[in-house]
Amino acid sequence: MPPDNAGYMVAAYVVTAVILVGYAVSLLARARSAVTGNSVKREA
Amino acid sequence: MSGPTSARAFVRSGTALTVLALLALAGVYVLALGFTPIEARQGPAQKIFYLHVPAAWSALLAFSLVGLSGGLYLWLNDRRLDRFAAASAEVGVAFGVVMLTTGPIWAKPIWGTWWTWDARLTLTLFLFFLFVGYLALRAALHDPSERARFSAVVGLLGLLLVPFIHLSVYLFRTLHPQPIVLKPSAPSLPPEMLRTLLISALVFLLLYVGLVTIRYGLALAEEEREERLDAA
Repeated sequence: MPPDNAGYMVAAYVVTAVILVGYAVSLLARARSAVTGNSVKREA
Repeated sequence: MSGPTSARAFVRSGTALTVLALLALAGVYVLALGFTPIEARQGPAQKIFYLHVPAAWSALLAFSLVGLSGGLYLWLNDRRLDRFAAASAEVGVAFGVVMLTTGPIWAKPIWGTWWTWDARLTLTLFLFFLFVGYLALRAALHDPSERARFSAVVGLLGLLLVPFIHLSVYLFRTLHPQPIVLKPSAPSLPPEMLRTLLISALVFLLLYVGLVTIRYGLALAEEEREERLDAA
């Protein structure tokens, strides 16, 4: 009978999703802001 | 291609790759949690391995490429190499956070402790802090040429640590498991578990490429802004 430690598994999968999706979203927001900011200033 | 058009193109293609990789990662979750057997001795916590190991491989790949592109920058003086190094370092740190959080979450039920100061864990933590320092150094230096040269040297020092980390389980007495795939003999893992691990590694690699592409586009846009400020 395997040990009952599913809680640790769930925690690791949730933490990984939060870190990776959170980083991807924040990176995309920074990149979009930089690209759009540059275009707006260039047009001005 | 240069300027905002190029930066936008990198951000767009990086976004497409990243979205694809995150969807594939959801598939890995389903595969690992629903269709890969539970290991008899370690129980469900063993499945953390399908995220921890690919995150560790991706982080070490990212840090190695920072060192290699830094070395090439010092030789060729090509700014694209410096931009790539900066992008790879930041994404490597993100994967490093995954590696350093999932590792202790696995260790607690299996070893009975969250952390131990053995060679593999300590060297990995040191490498992680070295690249956090690398990013801080880049943020502190404003001259692009100076920033690129100084950070290339730090990146090269980080690259020197990577083989020691891989070999640390052979060189020192350590609690950390020995390599089960990246070793001279055949992988010591049942086929279903090996399949899930390799698919997850490919998905993490795709995510690395997507995130680095976005970060490269961001670096291009920031350089353009710096040049405009200098000209003003």
